[in-house]
Amino acid sequence: MIYVENIRKEFKKTIKQPGLLGSVKSLFNPKTEKVVAVDDISFHVPKGEILGFIGPNGAGKSTVIKMLTGILTPSAGLCTINGKNPQKNRKSYVKEIGVVFGQRTQLWWDLPLCETYAVLKEIYEVEDSAYKRKMDLLNEVLDLQDFIKSPVRTLSLGQRMRADIAASLLHSPKVLFLDEPTIGLDVVVKDNIRRAIAKINEEEQTTVILTTHDLSDIELLSKRIVMIDKGKNVFDGTVDELKKNYGQMRELHFELAGDSSLESLAYKEKFGFSDDDINIKREGVKATVRFNSDIVPVGDMLSYTLSGVHISDISVKDADIEEIIRRLYKKEVSADA
Amino acid sequence: MRRFLRIYLPFSKAGMQEMMAYRFNFIFHLIGEMLSCFVMYFVWLAVFESSDSSTFMGFSMVDMTVYLFISFMASFLTYSDGAINIGEEIRDGSIVMRMIKPVNFDMYLLFHELGSRFVSIFIVLVPMSVGVELYKFFVTGSVMFSLPNFALFSVSIIIAYLVSFYFNVCYGFLAFFLKNLWGSSVLKDAIISFLSGAKIPLAFMPPALAAVLTVLPFASLSYTPVMLYMGIYDAPQIIWSLSLQLFWLVFFWGLSKLIWRLAMKRLCVQGG
Ligand SMILES: Nc1ncnc2c1ncn2[C@@H]1O[C@H](COP(=O)(O)OP(=O)(O)O)[C@@H](O)[C@H]1O
Ligand SMILES: [Mg+2]
Repeated sequence: MIYVENIRKEFKKTIKQPGLLGSVKSLFNPKTEKVVAVDDISFHVPKGEILGFIGPNGAGKSTVIKMLTGILTPSAGLCTINGKNPQKNRKSYVKEIGVVFGQRTQLWWDLPLCETYAVLKEIYEVEDSAYKRKMDLLNEVLDLQDFIKSPVRTLSLGQRMRADIAASLLHSPKVLFLDEPTIGLDVVVKDNIRRAIAKINEEEQTTVILTTHDLSDIELLSKRIVMIDKGKNVFDGTVDELKKNYGQMRELHFELAGDSSLESLAYKEKFGFSDDDINIKREGVKATVRFNSDIVPVGDMLSYTLSGVHISDISVKDADIEEIIRRLYKKEVSADA
Repeated sequence: MRRFLRIYLPFSKAGMQEMMAYRFNFIFHLIGEMLSCFVMYFVWLAVFESSDSSTFMGFSMVDMTVYLFISFMASFLTYSDGAINIGEEIRDGSIVMRMIKPVNFDMYLLFHELGSRFVSIFIVLVPMSVGVELYKFFVTGSVMFSLPNFALFSVSIIIAYLVSFYFNVCYGFLAFFLKNLWGSSVLKDAIISFLSGAKIPLAFMPPALAAVLTVLPFASLSYTPVMLYMGIYDAPQIIWSLSLQLFWLVFFWGLSKLIWRLAMKRLCVQGG
């Protein structure tokens, strides 16, 4: 469905020279500096998959989305979506996709929402019956009724975002691109939006690429992750693989009984953990010890803890992907420094 | 065609509603412009009264008055600023939202503006032309309204509006590239209003200058429709000036498409 092969994007940044004379000069002889935003990225997304596209700020996620949606032209490499090149046949291509940029709206500022949808219906040539069905469905998951008659400029961020998602789905796109669709939203709206995406994906086998900062988006929606950093691909695989490969972190949760103190355990000294490999937190009687199970197996850790202090309750948990990814980001940064 | 209208008419409706929301601004603006029109009228009256002959460069005082008010009306009707923000949109990146929809950006802007124009047609065109005709009737004592001239004027003013619209689309892009060099649109509007003959008939200018200005696109914005209204041109001149208008329309339309293409090509959308 989506093939991305070795795409690269360089930006020429003009260096502004100060003053009026400077701007005249840079008009005729601009000084530029090359910024590589995306550096040789490839991946493939089969039909019906929801791909979580993640990476720290400035990694190049939005730039990739812009190339895939035909807004920017890659400096090198190729992307093919639905057998089409987004740059070549832009007008016919954009008819088959839905796009949402969390920081911008595609809705027309001064039209009431319902008019916006009526216009979109015409633009995308949606049949009356299909339109009605779709609006009912979107209304149901996204709760649009309350503000459907209001002009877009009067909507709150959460309302606008829901409206934007609905607008991107109205014409049953084959591919949906979402760039930070949940940014700045409260939990209820986030949940609304996630349900809408999941529902559309399930009912219409819409292929989805989703970039986000909020890893719960990924955990709830997608099985597969592509992670990039500084324009380069650093991970491509399923969430399970990510956990298996990088998920050495485990969490030990227990409640201390009596007057036992955690300090007496001295994990670091005993097992030689580095600062990165262990993290101990305590709230009242509840303690959480997060540790790297590659260094010390879970069994050893358990028996050592049980022999050292009195415990009323104990459990072991996998670390969540948020933790894994935080470590991955960190590794990238430190490997680079 | 029906689909086309269904897509773009809602924008006209929105433009109209916006216009209604700002109707007081609009009316005060209109009154201000009218006043300056009357000032010009008295200036010319003084000129005519102090001169010995009853005509000035071929214009009688009645002609002059008709000229003043009709050209005021023409420049009012053809004023276009719907595309003024296009450069800003490129800069802040919101232009990308126009690229992910299979809609023509210029049609959207055009219909949006036409919505507000629609209101001004009724507020300006009807009372102004009725007023001018009544004036002519009272001064000369005969009805001089010519339907063919008015029809030519209407055709010409529509082309003039479109020229103005696409000229301003180009200007909108240019204002982005030349932000620091070419200042406010107040300056632009003043220059255009001079070059287009909206303030002083081009016929009053030195022949060489007038010849150049008549061919330049600015004359197409208001001078041509006014001349057609006044019935000053003969048949070859009518055909020539209308063709010239059409030429400039095609020119600026093409230019705006070209600039749009170029801008898209080297578009570097910020952030996101
Ligand atoms: N128009 C542009 N001109 C110059 N540099 C840009 C432009 N757009 C993005 N960049 C740079 O490219 C890099 C990637 O940006 P972006 O794709 O927005 O990252 P992300 O969405 O992952 O946060 C950043 O370093 C950013 O500064
Ligand atoms: Mg981004």
